[in-house]
Amino acid sequence: MSNREISRRSFLQGGLVAGVSVTLAPLSSQALAALMENSVTVPSEQWLGNNGQARFRNDALSKVCGSKVFARDIRAKDMPGWPQQQGHAMLLKTVRADRIYDGYDLSWLGAELQPDRIVTADDLQKDGIVFPEEHAPDPLLPAGKVPMFIGHPVAILIWNDFERYRQAKSKLKFNDKAIRYGAQVPYYKGEPYGSFRYVRVGGPTSADEDEFASLKDSILFPMIRNRRPEWNSQPDLHGNLNERGMFYAERMKQQLQTPPEDWLVFDERYKTPSIEPAALEPDNGNGWYDPATKTLHFVVATQCPVEAATETAKMIAPSRFGLAKLNMHPGYTVGYGSKDHNIFVYYAALAALYGAGVPIRLANDRYEQFQSGIKRHSFDIHYQLAVDKKDHSFKIFRAEMDVDGGGRINYSASVAAVGATAAQSIYYMPQSDLQATAYHSRGVEAGSMRGYGTLQSMASTEMMVDEIAGRLGIDAIDLRKKNVLRSGMKNTQGAVPAGALRLNEILEKASANEIWKNRDARKKQFDAQDPDNWYGVGFAICQKDFGTGSEAPMASIEYTAEGHITLRHIGIELGTGMSTSQALVVADFLGNPANEVSTGVTDWSELQLTTSGNPYIMSQAEQDNVLRNPRWVGKIASASSATNSAYYFSHATREAARVLFNHGLWPAALEIWRQGPYGGQANPYVVRREDAHWVDGKLTANGMEPLPFAMLAKRAHERGLVTGATVHGFNRWSWAESEFTIDGVRERLPLDGLAVKYGDGAPNVKKAQMNSAGFHLLDRQNVAYPVTQLNNAAVTYYSPVATLVELKVNKGSGEVKVLDHHTWVECGRVLVPELVKGQIEGGVAMGIGHALLEEMPLYEGGPGEGDWNFNRYRLPHARDVAVWKQTSEILPPLSPSDPSKGIAEVVMIPVAGAIGNAVAHAIGKRVRDLPITSARIKEALNG
Amino acid sequence: MKQLFPRLSLAVALAVPALLAQAADQKQIERGEYLARASDCMACHTAPGGAPFAGGQPIVSPFGTIYGTNITPDKEHGIGQYSDDEFFAAVTQGKRRDGANLYPAMPYTSYHLMSREDSDAIHAYLQTVEPINRAAPVTSLSFPFNVRLGLMGWNMLYGKDVQLAPADGKSEAWKRGQYMVDVLGHCGECHTPRGLPGAMQQDKRLTGGLLNGYLAPSLLADDLAARGWTHQDLSTFLKHGMSAQGTMFNEMFPVFHNSTVGLNDQDLAAMATFLLGDQPPQARTLAAVPTDKLSASAQRGRQHYLNVCAGCHGVEGEGKPHIAVAMQGNTTLRLEDSRNLVRVIEDGIGEQKFAGFEHMQPMPAFADKLSTEQLADLVNYLRQAWGGQPTELAVNQVEQLKADASAEHKAH
Amino acid sequence: MANRPLQLTLNGQSVGPVEVPDDLPMIDYLHEYRNLTGSRLGCGQGICHACVVIVDNPDGTSEEVRTCITGAHFFDGKKVRTIEGHAHRDESGKVTELNPIQQKFVDKFAFQCSYCAPGFVNAATVLVEKLQRQPIKKSQMEQVIEDSLGHHICRCTGYVRYYSATRDVLLDLDLVKEG
Repeated sequence: MSNREISRRSFLQGGLVAGVSVTLAPLSSQALAALMENSVTVPSEQWLGNNGQARFRNDALSKVCGSKVFARDIRAKDMPGWPQQQGHAMLLKTVRADRIYDGYDLSWLGAELQPDRIVTADDLQKDGIVFPEEHAPDPLLPAGKVPMFIGHPVAILIWNDFERYRQAKSKLKFNDKAIRYGAQVPYYKGEPYGSFRYVRVGGPTSADEDEFASLKDSILFPMIRNRRPEWNSQPDLHGNLNERGMFYAERMKQQLQTPPEDWLVFDERYKTPSIEPAALEPDNGNGWYDPATKTLHFVVATQCPVEAATETAKMIAPSRFGLAKLNMHPGYTVGYGSKDHNIFVYYAALAALYGAGVPIRLANDRYEQFQSGIKRHSFDIHYQLAVDKKDHSFKIFRAEMDVDGGGRINYSASVAAVGATAAQSIYYMPQSDLQATAYHSRGVEAGSMRGYGTLQSMASTEMMVDEIAGRLGIDAIDLRKKNVLRSGMKNTQGAVPAGALRLNEILEKASANEIWKNRDARKKQFDAQDPDNWYGVGFAICQKDFGTGSEAPMASIEYTAEGHITLRHIGIELGTGMSTSQALVVADFLGNPANEVSTGVTDWSELQLTTSGNPYIMSQAEQDNVLRNPRWVGKIASASSATNSAYYFSHATREAARVLFNHGLWPAALEIWRQGPYGGQANPYVVRREDAHWVDGKLTANGMEPLPFAMLAKRAHERGLVTGATVHGFNRWSWAESEFTIDGVRERLPLDGLAVKYGDGAPNVKKAQMNSAGFHLLDRQNVAYPVTQLNNAAVTYYSPVATLVELKVNKGSGEVKVLDHHTWVECGRVLVPELVKGQIEGGVAMGIGHALLEEMPLYEGGPGEGDWNFNRYRLPHARDVAVWKQTSEILPPLSPSDPSKGIAEVVMIPVAGAIGNAVAHAIGKRVRDLPITSARIKEALNG
Repeated sequence: MKQLFPRLSLAVALAVPALLAQAADQKQIERGEYLARASDCMACHTAPGGAPFAGGQPIVSPFGTIYGTNITPDKEHGIGQYSDDEFFAAVTQGKRRDGANLYPAMPYTSYHLMSREDSDAIHAYLQTVEPINRAAPVTSLSFPFNVRLGLMGWNMLYGKDVQLAPADGKSEAWKRGQYMVDVLGHCGECHTPRGLPGAMQQDKRLTGGLLNGYLAPSLLADDLAARGWTHQDLSTFLKHGMSAQGTMFNEMFPVFHNSTVGLNDQDLAAMATFLLGDQPPQARTLAAVPTDKLSASAQRGRQHYLNVCAGCHGVEGEGKPHIAVAMQGNTTLRLEDSRNLVRVIEDGIGEQKFAGFEHMQPMPAFADKLSTEQLADLVNYLRQAWGGQPTELAVNQVEQLKADASAEHKAH
Repeated sequence: MANRPLQLTLNGQSVGPVEVPDDLPMIDYLHEYRNLTGSRLGCGQGICHACVVIVDNPDGTSEEVRTCITGAHFFDGKKVRTIEGHAHRDESGKVTELNPIQQKFVDKFAFQCSYCAPGFVNAATVLVEKLQRQPIKKSQMEQVIEDSLGHHICRCTGYVRYYSATRDVLLDLDLVKEG
């Protein structure tokens, strides 16, 4: 089958969701390119250097020429088969949370500018729209109700042409004239989104059995009364799990209240701001609902295309419109998490649905993006840490965190949980009690955003540790070394982090750094030379989990007889270079990167997967039961978020490539090497698969003649060997494993779904097995799923990062200027060094913004009112990030077999703590609320 | 009485326990900090990016550049050795500790009416700021102003010129406002025209002055009302640096950060009361003039407005909240002398951060984007549509305003 | 709202006169009337500079202009280059040659999501053209780059690669003199 045919198939066929045929052709795919003029990526021949390294990103040419790369760039006339006319929509929002919404009045727009269609809650109700439950209730607020939050949408306004839309929108901006407010009322009261408590009391050492821990025993959950958590279980050492947990929690609390003489008990609060992710591409979608065929064609910006497609289908299918087919086209995008699990997608789909056959585009401008785009949670943190004043070891760590989730639940519960479990940063805590509760508020919805709770808690921990070192009068890195987690030691959930921990190695490097060693002398010298400023040095380190505890990567690789390699992947290109690095991962087993990559693929019909239940909370018995169905998986597909591409996405790509190697290329190679009498050139030597090496794109092993990939591909096709593989994996802090019989060979793999394709020369009986969307779907056997108790581990995969910052604080203005910074990163095996360096530079800049610049009020006067933009919300500019001076260092892997670890989020975190510490070094006072603005510095100095 | 009072309080302070004395000192220091703000000492004595009161701020005068001096308590370069008496003499008479005359950029012409008590409080406060051991740059002036002795003559002529208007029958607020505006705030230093030797023309007090090519507009009550100011708007303007009439810009912008933002509401209201009078005149309101009622030049100007202004100031001149001021109701448009309008369009305005989260975006400079004809058309549109100024500026008048501006630039 | 005729040169092609509204922002003209979407809407308020195009002045100079706050009619009679106009393409539309800034940005992995890339390409291109008329001293180079690119906002990259790539182009093209 040619590539064109593969692509056409993925465009024209698809899976079934809620009886709807769902297909997906990403804007980047060849399928769409076949219908459109350009494609986004170029074949690997162009971007691959002679040394096997990427010379540039595979999407670079399209991006640097301003081609249509983003969903945002697409208009109806760009889409094959769509009507030419392009309509536009906007959301009408109420901006007062203390008033009943009493309906709208658009009469003042005049007859000419009236929308062609106004969609309200009544319409959704009447037409049987089933809005995704996780984003409910009241996607459009019905008249007579109290808004859940400032900026609650009340109607979708649709115009069938651009000009009237433009003029009407400019009249509707910066005022709420169109909203009729009713009586003043108390704010909407919502239940907390989630509340968790992680209690651990370790044994005498980390290696000893824990007395109590989340992993071994349980996470604790409270009763909710009056919208607050109540920990009312009776503490009882011999009671049930909750009672036992509360016994230890209570004991720790008392120990902190009446500490021994030789303990120092630190007790302070930290506050972190609500942050606008500020992805430069604002949320948008453009859809055409064709009533004749009941088909929705939908171009959309999303980090989770599979979820978006599934939920869109389920939303529309039962409605009076009906949905026979959904053609989704996700673009390359950017979101830093904010386009994951995003309600906006469904508004855009609804706008299209009500377009009466006209393609409708719903695209936020920046003010609207501030108003309703998903935010990073604001945290209010209370930390207590007891330290032994003699040996400086940490004793008891206690945290209470209030998390402001804004008006809709989104991922608030898990952000709170992740924030709590990250609070320990890099330290071993012999005893810990970490509580976190996420609350509803009238603020803008907060959700998945780079950092996911850990930035908030770990940056605070790093400031705390630094301050404690000051109180103890010791070097802050020495205190860190004393308490650092070492390989094999347990985290605060009682789980052992994956692999070697190289934190101490980074600490050693940092304490040897000249700037750190001489910081006090440097300060003296600098302050004398520049009387207008105070100079400071600060350090912080952390390690951040990557992944979500329910990761489900899918990848499919095929090669033609001519040696052309195609990779299909669920991943979305967010700018991190995922499509480039995944193409390169293929080369580990195929000697060559994928020539062609399709990202954001949602059509995986060959695997015939099904899922049910919630993987985070299902019981072991429930899991055991559903696993009897060999098509059941814990989750269908991961979103592109949570820093999951380097490790989890690579896992699927690598496993698919491994199957192709073991069952296609290697047998083909052996056959070639064994040609001739008595086993040919292979006969005199012992040829082993583990000795196989790719050298310059050719395969050799144990001195065998190097064979080019194309030759092997040709032979594998002739012999009908495995030439295509689609894989599915599931990870709950550990991979699901199962056995498959692949081309007659039984093998145990870290996968729970596998379908293969045989070469052109396969006998008909073999080809007949390829009856699952062109693949031979294999039944897994002896599946071993990670036990559900592992959910309590919360985290096991970590990447460590540390940053050292030099800055100055102006005595007059109180403004902070970052002079220089250096970052150390350990991320295992690096796929493309330039991409990793780029992630570090970008992450550090975002961390600087969080620490120094970015802030807005949560409620009134905040972004929900629709008048925020980058003039007031200060994003870091080049002048803020020490653009010419900054440096970084990636630790070499332990061996080439190190896994590639995710770093996109973690690189942002230590710089925030380091800045807090450097400011304290500079001015001699602590500022514990972020961002550290000039106003807060002046307050600290005067207070 | 005024002279006795401080000595009296000192005597009292000595008699009470040390703690109370400290508290009294603390109170005096806090009062001094407030008064230093009301007197806008920072405007000249703190350089951009510099330590507070360490001097170095260049003050451009018609005679050359004067640098604000270091008034931190540093003994070598600051005023660490000044006694209260010496400080009072410097503030109110322009006498340096060594007896030399201060350059008249120091507004002792206004401060000469400052009370001894207030001067002492400011001095007490300044003694608490961080001493900065650094000399301010050396001032270089043209003759005779480069000779400090030469200033004697200037002082004899004009040194004590500011005399307060009679306060008979005025409210307490008015009187307080007068002290804030005329003495501490020394508003007249900019808002009063100056004669050739650089001295204020006291008969034209607060009728507006020229400063670096910009007009510091008239603060007379009738003029303010004609430009749309109410008592409330004026207090708001001082408090927030912005109001419906526009934002502080140019030389007035630092006054906001260094002074008015930190003043209490009562004093700000008093200042407004003094400026507008106990019975303020009715503020004039304007209706927008429809396009077809505009002159031909203004109609051409409208298209320039749509091209390069409307993106921020709104198609209907409505402005954008927190981004750019409205043209409707804007006070600068209402000045008959369109010098500031021309200057702002030509020079632009830098990014301006006000209190809280207010952060107006920078206005670009259009000097090389618009021809003089286009500029004249645009100015006429703004004047006619929203300024209540039906008269039309001819191209050569705009040319002249531009020339004035560049002459000013050259002078600096 | 009245229409008025607009005529301009867009990427070397004469366009118009066509009737467009007198208050139409240039970015909307490019996106909705010309389907040129590479000049990106970032803030819509003239702050982030993702939307800038290059205007070629009659005197041979070039400059950046923000299209989100500038009306389409400002460009009447002007020569405008957008991000889509820099690269040379063959008849099939395949890129055959990038401008030196584009090429270096590609080689140095300068952008990530690339939403802001068109703005940076145009700003740096204007800088190159300016220095081609008047080279600068090496000691001024970092400041000149900051002055030229400093207003542009990027959320992904931290600016390092945009800046160092621009520096490399200035050095490669010999636009920087010792001193």
